[in-house]
Formats: sequence, C-alpha cells, structure tokens
Amino acid sequence: MQTLIEKNLPAIACQNVFTDYQSTLKRPILNGIDFQINHGEFVALLGLNGAGKSTLLRSLVGLVPIKQGEIQICGTTIEPNHLGEVRRNVGFLFQGGGLIDQLSCLDNVLCGCLGELNTWQSLWGFPKRDRRIAMKLLQKLGLQEQIYQKAKQLSGGQRQRVAIARTLIQSPHILLADEPTSGLDVSGINQVMNNLQEMHRQGLTVVVVLHDLALASQYAQRAIVLEEGQVCYDGDCQNIERQFAKLKNLSQFQSASAA
Amino acid sequence: MKFIDRIRPYTSSRYYVWVIRILVSIGVVWAYIWSLQGLKVDPKLIRTSLPYMADFLSRLWPPDLSILDVAIKALIETVQMSLWGTTIGAILSIPLALLSARNLSPLWLRWLASFLQNAVRSVPSIILGLFFVTATGLGAPAGTLALGIYTIGYLAKFYQEAIESVDKRSLESLQVSRASWWQIAQYGVLPQVLPLCLGYTIYMFEYNIRAASVLGVVGAGGIGFELVSYIRGFEYNKAMTMMLVLLVVVTGIDALSSQLRNKFKSD
Repeated sequence: MQTLIEKNLPAIACQNVFTDYQSTLKRPILNGIDFQINHGEFVALLGLNGAGKSTLLRSLVGLVPIKQGEIQICGTTIEPNHLGEVRRNVGFLFQGGGLIDQLSCLDNVLCGCLGELNTWQSLWGFPKRDRRIAMKLLQKLGLQEQIYQKAKQLSGGQRQRVAIARTLIQSPHILLADEPTSGLDVSGINQVMNNLQEMHRQGLTVVVVLHDLALASQYAQRAIVLEEGQVCYDGDCQNIERQFAKLKNLSQFQSASAA
Repeated sequence: MKFIDRIRPYTSSRYYVWVIRILVSIGVVWAYIWSLQGLKVDPKLIRTSLPYMADFLSRLWPPDLSILDVAIKALIETVQMSLWGTTIGAILSIPLALLSARNLSPLWLRWLASFLQNAVRSVPSIILGLFFVTATGLGAPAGTLALGIYTIGYLAKFYQEAIESVDKRSLESLQVSRASWWQIAQYGVLPQVLPLCLGYTIYMFEYNIRAASVLGVVGAGGIGFELVSYIRGFEYNKAMTMMLVLLVVVTGIDALSSQLRNKFKSD
C-alpha cells in the first residue's frame, strides 16, 4: 500500500473507455469515460438509470469487457491475464449483497478468503485462523448473533454488512460498492454508509454508486455524474443538486411529468 | 404534446393485447373440441357398461391375504429397483443437465443436450423395459436399467432448471474474490443447487416405485408382474391384496419424502 502511494500511481485511472455497441441504446453503455481517482478518496458515482454507473463499476473489476481504452487499478492494466492481480486490490459490494443464501454468514464471509487459498486448502473447509478473523469481523459489524444463521434469513441491511465483512477479510485497497443502500430502511442505510465511512477513514479508497444525492453530499468528498455513458460532472459534492438538474434526460422527464 | 405522445403507444399496445387474448382463448376452446372429437366418446356405451364396471370392482373384494408374503416380497423388490434405478438415472443426469444449462453451456451444446433429453423422455417406460428384457433377460435387473434411463428424461430437466436458477451475482462475487473454478462450484453453485436437486431426486424415487409396478407387466421385475398375472388368471382378490400393499407403501413413502423435501426447501 505504502509503495503504491509513494509511486504516486492513481488508485483508479480510466482512459477513453468504451464498451461494446448496444443496439437497443444505439450507443455503447460506456461511451468514452475519462477520470482518475487517487488513493484515499471517497467518491460517489451518480447518474440516472441506464447512465452506465453499474457497468462502469463492474468494468473496474473486469466483469464487463471493454472494447476500447484502458483501465488501470493501482497501476495494473485490466487485461484477462492480470485480473487476479487487479482483483487482489479491490473489494466489490454487489447490490443486494451477492451472498450465497444457503451458506451461513460465517461461510459467506470466509468465501472472501478463497482467492488466498488454493482449491485443496479450501476443499474441507477453511483454516482456523481465517475463521477467527471472520468471526471478529462479524462481531465488529454487530452481527455476532447471526454468525451461524443462513444468509437467507437476514434482513437487507444485515446482508449488506455480511458482504462488507466479506470484502474486509480480503483487506483490499479499493472498495467498489454498487448501490449498497438500495432497498434498505433509514437505519440500515446509515449503518452501511457509516461502515463505508469507517473503511475510508482507515485509508481505503471508496467508490460508491448512489441514487440519493443528499447521501452523496453527506458522505462523499467528490462526485462523478454520468450521463449516457460519459462523465458530465466531476468535482466536489457542494452543488451536485444543481449539476444534476442540468442532465438532459432529467429535464425532459420533469417537463413531461409537469405537463 | 409530449404527454400525448407518451399515451398513444400505450393504448395501441393495449388493443393488441386484447386481440391476442381473444385469439388464444379461441385456440384453447378449439383444441378441447378437436380432442373430444378424436376420442370418439360414446355416452351410451358408458351407461350400458356401468354394471360391468361395478362387477369388476365387486370381485376385487375381499382381498386375499394369504398371498401377503408374496406381495411384500414383490414390493420390496420394487423398492430396491426404484432405489438403484433412480440413483443410476440421477448420476447420468448430472452431466446432461450441466451441458443443457443456459448459464453454463454454449448454444449448440445446449441444443444437442436438450435434444438428447427429449429423445429419452419420449420413450415410454414399457418400451425401455422391453428393450432391457431382451438385453438382460426377465427380472429385476432389466427393470432397474429401464428406470435408470427413464429417470434421466426427467431429472436432467429438473437439475438443469435448478442450475439455471442459481443467483448470478453471488457467483460473480466469488469470481471477484479470485475463487478458482472448483471453489466457485463448491461454495457457490453446490449449496444453491443441492437442496433443490435432492428434493427432485426423492420425488423421482417415489415416482419410480409407481413406474416400476408398470414395468412388471413386460416381465421386468417388481410388483407389476404378479399383479398382472393375478388379473389375467381372474384371481381378483389376490390382485387386490397387491394393490393394497402398494397403496400402503406409496402413501408411506410419499409422507416421508414430502417431509424430507420440506426440510431441504427450508435449508
């Protein structure tokens, strides 16, 4: 981590990123994305539905192939044979958690260790040391009573916190979160966002896709607003409401509903 | 103006929906009438044949319990056939299901695998029984193999659906954690698929006990062989015993298997 910062490499760098042409949209989902995120930033990724927020986030871990341009994570270019190296530095929170419903919370968290263990080491379960770490993480996130519960039985907020524990056990440098608050109640939202803030304080670079502008300005230092696959605003969170009002589709939508 | 633009396509699509609904209803009614004509049902014949049916039923009673030991022995054989037949079929279904799952295989392989599934499913169990009787001779081994193949037609489809219902995001999360192919299968796919598949397999075991009773008719072992020979020899009371024993076992296994299936579902 130290060496990465000393080298002065940005945590995330996107250069002219395009995805495949989408005939239903009559354009690629990502249509020439350019930005840099430095280590230790807390960035909110905003935009209307279909602007390409989730696709962008997924492309940062190689889940969406890019057609043109370059993405670098901590100086490593995303390429099929470098994916392992890139993913070692990145934790990803999926919308809804992306947990395996039939496994216990503990096992779900332990799944985060799979990258560090080879197939033989994980064939009969996980090492004691990892189990202890996983339990500690769950306790820290207030889930000590749910350790042996199946993920299926959890509430939305609890699921997201298990997912957070799963990314923490990988001790990543960068955390990408795809709408971690969707479907949660107010207390759930606050808990999850506070967890992200805590991770940011400990030095993680956090990029989070949000829908709620107020939430973005409350927690993030910087906002990147996407529109039709391009960055249309990149700056501080002070006046994102005004920036958001400028969006083409939003104004159309507003005038239609006003009529 | 914009408001009106938004409304118009909505109303016209609504109109088409109604046309399609009416056409579908007409089609369904037509299919029923057409099928009834094909059956050539004669209501008069049903009325005149009622006494014969009553006679058949009355001769079944009372059951002749003197052959209870024969019945139980035949039934145990049926259960044994079903156990092995289901297991053989289940094992053979796994690769076929993997090859035909939408989220795992390329289109051409899926097409080939589902063609194979349909081919197996369209062969009646009796034909399979006859086929294996010519291969291994009369008796339970032929029936077991027939059940095995018959099971593939159903379990491969059920397994395929279980595999296709796996949550994509949960597997991606393992992928991002750099899990290997085997680790994703072990920790991601298997826990989600196993409860469903076990439930289906138990259901198939139960179903195969009934299917095995039919296989006996062509001499492929099991309770059906005795059952048919009693009916052919007009020993209806003995046939009744056979059917009663079958009823008890099927009911018992149904209760057991539905309990097990519920347990898997809640897991």
